[in-house]
Amino acid sequence: MSPTRRTFLTLAGVAAAPAGLAGCGFTKKTPAPQDTEAQTLTFTTWGTDNELAGLRKVIERFESANEGTSVELNAVPYEQMFTNIDAQLQSNTAPDIFRVPYYTFGSYAGQGQLLDLKPLLSEGFADRFTPQAWAAVQNKDSPFGVPHHTDTSAILYNKDMFDAAGITSVPTTLEEAWTWDELEQVALQLRKSLPDSKYPMAYNWQGNGVTRWLSWLFQADGRFLEEDLVTPAIDSEAGRAAVEFTSSFFRRNLVPQNDSVKSTTYASDIWYSETVAMTWAGAFLIPDAAQTLKFNWGATFAPRKVRGGSDFGGNALVATAGTKVPELAASFLEFVTEEESMRGFCEAASLLPTRNDLVESGITFTERPELSEVFIGQASIVQASDSGQVASPNMAAIITVLKDQLEQAFVGGQSVEDTIKGLSEGIAKATSA
Amino acid sequence: MSTAAVRVRGPRGETLAAYAFLSPTFILLGVFVLVPMVGALIISLQRTNGFGAGTFAGLANYDTLLHDPLFWRSTLNTVLFTAIVTPLSMALGLGAAVLLNSVLPARGVFRSILIVPMAVSGIATALMATLIFDENSGILDKLFRFLGLPDVAWQSGGAAAFVSVVLVTLWWRVGFNMLIYLAGLQGIGEDVHEAARLDGATGWQRFRYMTIPLVGPSTFFLLIMNVIYSFQVFDIIFVLTGGGPRNATSVLVTYAYDTGFVTRDQGYAAAIGMVLLLIMLSFTALQWRTNKSRDLAG
Repeated sequence: MSPTRRTFLTLAGVAAAPAGLAGCGFTKKTPAPQDTEAQTLTFTTWGTDNELAGLRKVIERFESANEGTSVELNAVPYEQMFTNIDAQLQSNTAPDIFRVPYYTFGSYAGQGQLLDLKPLLSEGFADRFTPQAWAAVQNKDSPFGVPHHTDTSAILYNKDMFDAAGITSVPTTLEEAWTWDELEQVALQLRKSLPDSKYPMAYNWQGNGVTRWLSWLFQADGRFLEEDLVTPAIDSEAGRAAVEFTSSFFRRNLVPQNDSVKSTTYASDIWYSETVAMTWAGAFLIPDAAQTLKFNWGATFAPRKVRGGSDFGGNALVATAGTKVPELAASFLEFVTEEESMRGFCEAASLLPTRNDLVESGITFTERPELSEVFIGQASIVQASDSGQVASPNMAAIITVLKDQLEQAFVGGQSVEDTIKGLSEGIAKATSA
Repeated sequence: MSTAAVRVRGPRGETLAAYAFLSPTFILLGVFVLVPMVGALIISLQRTNGFGAGTFAGLANYDTLLHDPLFWRSTLNTVLFTAIVTPLSMALGLGAAVLLNSVLPARGVFRSILIVPMAVSGIATALMATLIFDENSGILDKLFRFLGLPDVAWQSGGAAAFVSVVLVTLWWRVGFNMLIYLAGLQGIGEDVHEAARLDGATGWQRFRYMTIPLVGPSTFFLLIMNVIYSFQVFDIIFVLTGGGPRNATSVLVTYAYDTGFVTRDQGYAAAIGMVLLLIMLSFTALQWRTNKSRDLAG
């Protein structure tokens, strides 16, 4: 049988399919090395509708201010963001700029995947940021990104459930924030008033949010890494206190059993369903909560022990080491963190600024503006030494250790001593790899 | 053109045409299966986080596997999941196929209902399942409470979480099994059953000694496919339980994913993948040898 014209065309089509498929979806077109295209920046991010709208406005202003330049924004779902970024970095097809959580930043910076911005940023650029924000984008004494915004966890509470338990007031200033003992009393009071199927609280340490457990460690004035960011420091009284206190939530039915660190149910969803009276949550949840929740709710400060402590959440913007337009990338990163850009973005998306001037003057969230002060105040107690530890290049492996050990402590009955030993050994192994 | 020339050129022409027909498959297999497989083998011999050149580590990753309790837990979970889901989904599929192959009112509707889950992605299936199995606000526990039954810890109890994964997988997969068995059943002539009836065989005897052997090729195909699907299970577990609680539902693919993309130990993740490949190749080879005669006879 000799191939017919139809067969030939079919075969040719099939053979060409891989090339065609490669042009679909997440793959990035490699820019041709022409001067006209060299002024185009590719920028990959995930984001809520409000965040993306804010970014598009900033991009429009940047393009207007820099004639001849354009920024191609590629918005992708968070779930596929980093598996694809990793694949793109490995195949040299990564975008010029991408968004990265602070706890993941170190993994990229430490492996030489990001552009060292030190020689490209203008004089005194660092001064615009809070010390904790600037510490979160450092690697080997150089900035490898800009702190675009932060977020941190305060307590969101269901006023109706609090009222039913006789809790009629909550802390309104940072200084009045509940101590661990006071939080325990509030939780026990709620436990007494709630039926068995409901619980006093849920904590947002699921998934990579396990880094938020570190807030308890910081509140006890502890560290998980020494200043060299290599030696484990969690084998301490503070470490033991944090493990013991948080494990007791599960033993005493103060949180649902499916609130553990490896659960696929997020604390916010448990709170939304009115299964718990309060939850720890970032300000980014405010727009969604304001629009969807039917019950009365408010916000108050996270607790304190030896000192206040909170997670330095949020995201940095980084340029890839392989970008063909490093100056333009740095220029865009500076522009995005200017006062007007950051204020607009943070206010619309209910996120917290990293600039000193905006922290001092304050911003006003578009939704539930009265809650702005709670979250800005909460973020102000993050210390640079806390956020600096989370920027460790080994954070990805440390996150796995935290998940494994805390899961065992919370719902596996593992003792405090065994947990501290497991954490210490796991962190040592992670930082020596 | 002489007859002899046609005899010589004919087979050669057919051979060329055969290769032409096969070449797209060879190209696709080579580019998307064989090349990545060789790549994974090379990565499994390295210590690498995926960025830059890794360092050659020989068989170190495989040696670590031998002493890694989570790897063995995940392997055991994978084998257990396969051992439960494969026979159950095949048995339920065969039962449904026999039922829907008979004279049943609205059988087309029932067939469609069973096949519909096949059209739903694993991720969407698992997302729906989270609404059912949520132990605080899920439909199932609410139903149990309404009936006065105790709550089941679908998310925080290891055994219950495993059961939830099995149930969701069965819902998803029984339709596929039914479809293949239905095609097999429709290839069996009614005269065969009629002859058995005349010989005095009961309904059970006809099912046990005639239907089951006659759908042997379908069973062989489904066994291979179900085992492969089960060993490769990922999406449902990843979304529904995340491998928890306390690794009770961790399987080899979720463990490889976590190791490769969360911990970023891609050499070790590739080694897990190679072990999974070896297990599946061994099983398929074993099945191929032991079932070859039945397949040919069928």
